[in-house]
Amino acid sequence: MTIPSPESENTMSNLTVPTPAASSPSTPSHPSDAGEVLRVENLRKIYNEGKPHAKTAIDDVSFTVNKGEFVCIVGPSGAGKTTLLRCISGLAKPSSGSLSFEGRPLTSVPEQLGLVFQDYGRSLYPWFTNAKNVGLPLAARGMKKAERAERVSQVLKNVGLGHVEKQYPWELSGGMQQRVAIARALSYQPDLLLMDEPFASVDAQTRFDLEDLILTVRRDLGITVVLVTHDIDEAIYLSDRIVVLSGSPSRVREVVDVPLGDHREQVATRASDEFLGLRRHLLDLVMPHSA
Amino acid sequence: MTQTITPEVVPERAAGASIGETTDLLVSPRRVRSRGARVRNVLLAIWLPIALLVIWWFASASSTSPFFPPLSRILEEFWAQWIVGPASMQLGSSLRNLALGYLGGALIGIVFGTLLWRFPPVRHVSNPLIYFLYVLPAPALLPAMIALFGIGELRQIALISFGAIWPTLLNTLDGMRGLDQVKFDTARAMKLSPLRQLFSLVLPGASPQIAAGLRASLQTSIILMVVTEMVAAKQGIGYFILQAQTVFAITSMWTGILMLAIIGTAANYLFVGVERIVLRWYYRSRALTNS
Amino acid sequence: MNALSRRSFRWLAPAAAVLATLLLWQLVTAGGLFRADQFPTMTDTMIALGKAVATPPYWAAIGATVQAWFLGLVIASVLAITIGSALAFNDFAFRSAASVIEIFKAIPAIAILPLVILVLGSTLPMKVFLIAFGVFWPLVIQVIYGVRSMDPTVLDTSKALGVRGVRRFFMVVIPSASPYIATGLRIASASALILAVVSELVGGASGIGRNILQAQNGGTAAYPVMYAYIITAGLIGIILTGAFFLLERNVMHWHESQRNIRSNSEGALK
Repeated sequence: MTIPSPESENTMSNLTVPTPAASSPSTPSHPSDAGEVLRVENLRKIYNEGKPHAKTAIDDVSFTVNKGEFVCIVGPSGAGKTTLLRCISGLAKPSSGSLSFEGRPLTSVPEQLGLVFQDYGRSLYPWFTNAKNVGLPLAARGMKKAERAERVSQVLKNVGLGHVEKQYPWELSGGMQQRVAIARALSYQPDLLLMDEPFASVDAQTRFDLEDLILTVRRDLGITVVLVTHDIDEAIYLSDRIVVLSGSPSRVREVVDVPLGDHREQVATRASDEFLGLRRHLLDLVMPHSA
Repeated sequence: MTQTITPEVVPERAAGASIGETTDLLVSPRRVRSRGARVRNVLLAIWLPIALLVIWWFASASSTSPFFPPLSRILEEFWAQWIVGPASMQLGSSLRNLALGYLGGALIGIVFGTLLWRFPPVRHVSNPLIYFLYVLPAPALLPAMIALFGIGELRQIALISFGAIWPTLLNTLDGMRGLDQVKFDTARAMKLSPLRQLFSLVLPGASPQIAAGLRASLQTSIILMVVTEMVAAKQGIGYFILQAQTVFAITSMWTGILMLAIIGTAANYLFVGVERIVLRWYYRSRALTNS
Repeated sequence: MNALSRRSFRWLAPAAAVLATLLLWQLVTAGGLFRADQFPTMTDTMIALGKAVATPPYWAAIGATVQAWFLGLVIASVLAITIGSALAFNDFAFRSAASVIEIFKAIPAIAILPLVILVLGSTLPMKVFLIAFGVFWPLVIQVIYGVRSMDPTVLDTSKALGVRGVRRFFMVVIPSASPYIATGLRIASASALILAVVSELVGGASGIGRNILQAQNGGTAAYPVMYAYIITAGLIGIILTGAFFLLERNVMHWHESQRNIRSNSEGALK
């Protein structure tokens, strides 16, 4: 069932929103920073386990994500990327293997996790204004109304949106709607931002804007990001490390380091030799004929 | 077909979210731009009703048929009976029964529809019984109710409620079952408590279809109001009309019919008005996506 | 749980629930929570139902109710489809008639019942008229909406192909509007049954409704018969409404699959 148990509510109402250590903008983040945010070990997910039509979506996946890192997960379509993301976000239970979030075993969606889905049209609540959408997780955490309004306008500013509080999501363009969805995931200052193909439903120009936005947000807030995508260029442009999955059932084919530095520009970075070299390498890994 | 007619409860899709839907002809989402166009639209909407009234007036002016008295006499009698006369008492009783019965039934329908949605095994088990009660023509129960409880206002209210429950219940259930899973994933990611999920996601998300059910329930309630008054009461508009018919007071009977027409139309417009306000987000977002 | 036992659960659980309800009814009435002159026991009612089923009047009552339901529905459908399509194709006519249709739809059909009884008596035409009147207005709205929501390219294509007149009406317009019409018919079917029962209950025309009232007037001894007829009314509802549910679902399914093919090739509809 989709509704969490009442116990989780009780523990939640006692909590105020903790300010994550990494959120101070003065400390630039590096992959080398100590502290493990996410550890995935021998994860395996089988749908309809024990039945004749059982299907193994994820065979064996292990990787870790350190504090402040930007990690992209790429793989051919149908590689179980979304399944993997559902497992590491706590929305789905893995069949075997272990998952830990900030050192604790992951059983349900962690408090300090922000999620952004591909389809903003489906994840935003069209019956609420943008302000109410963004403030919803804050209200769930018991934040007072005045403080909430302040935080909402602040986080909307962070994602580059002006005064859209009183408007409804469907009154905005697709790119702006996805910004609202990102703002909502950021509003409670999570330690880890998980994104599932977040820019797949917008046009190319908006996509570039949103990619740069997420890099800026990550730099300003020092947040850890895990992003699932099928777009290799996007993965290289954004990440510090890329986890490359094989086709279904997925395994980790390789974890590729992306030494492109902290400052990236759409045109220059994508034209650089390092970028093109990485691109060639990744295409070799992902393309079916290279198997 | 693995199922017979009964198992799957299928909704009243009257104005719900699906393709075969009804909307009111008068509240089409078309935006009126200029003032001239607006005047033209109003004229288009009212000329025919006025013309029909005029035709009725003159065609019946010299009528000698006992069944179709002149409209002028009906209106005089209407004034004498309902505005200044004794019949206005009947009106109060009818409206009170209608309001209490309808609101009670609607509330029960929404509450139990939600419970059935929340507990699928209960839904599965009670499916045939609910379907039976839904398709059972409610007036058929009237004699049984008289036998069981005798005649009185409380019984009338009870029967109106009983009939009003089912369209609302089935639509509530169906609207909730049609909710997008991504919206629940989002709710879990935001850590919404079950109660908050109910009021922030489940009820508003299903509200367009709940409204469709409420509208169907309203029509059933009006029918049942009249039937109970005709068969099992000593007051109310239905009683008035039938009484007038039995003593062959045809003009009086016509005033009752007129009154019922006014009540039906007024209730409908009141409903549409409230619906337009409450579901503003729904109609406006739909108008935007359809244009 | 293997597949077989799960399937039997799907069937058995609801069936068991029905049985349990019937048993509860028996326990409550035989146990004395209700007196027999208020609420007969389940077994008495079932015996009454069994006896009634064996007699011609039972089937005559069902026949009378279903006949009125059928005729009223057919008349209203034919009128609604022809008038509705005509209105839908002419913007002036549509906008003029819209308010009239809305007003008539809002009038509870039962309001005119006493008048119809006076004019036509407690007869089959009285029932049919009442049903047709009550069902026509919501149905015509469905038809207008269905026809107006028709994809213009479909109509253009049919024009280009030279399909016109009656042929175009039956081969293009009606199929396109069919999901709306199917939904309208399902709702109309339920309303028609209610109106049939009311016209028998209040108007005294022969049918299930009148038999229920007669049994009630017959006093305590006839109460099991009354409930037997009430159950019958529910069963008729299941059959009539259920048939339209299935029709609607098939039409919807057909329409949706067609729609997907189309919207894949040319983007969003409309």
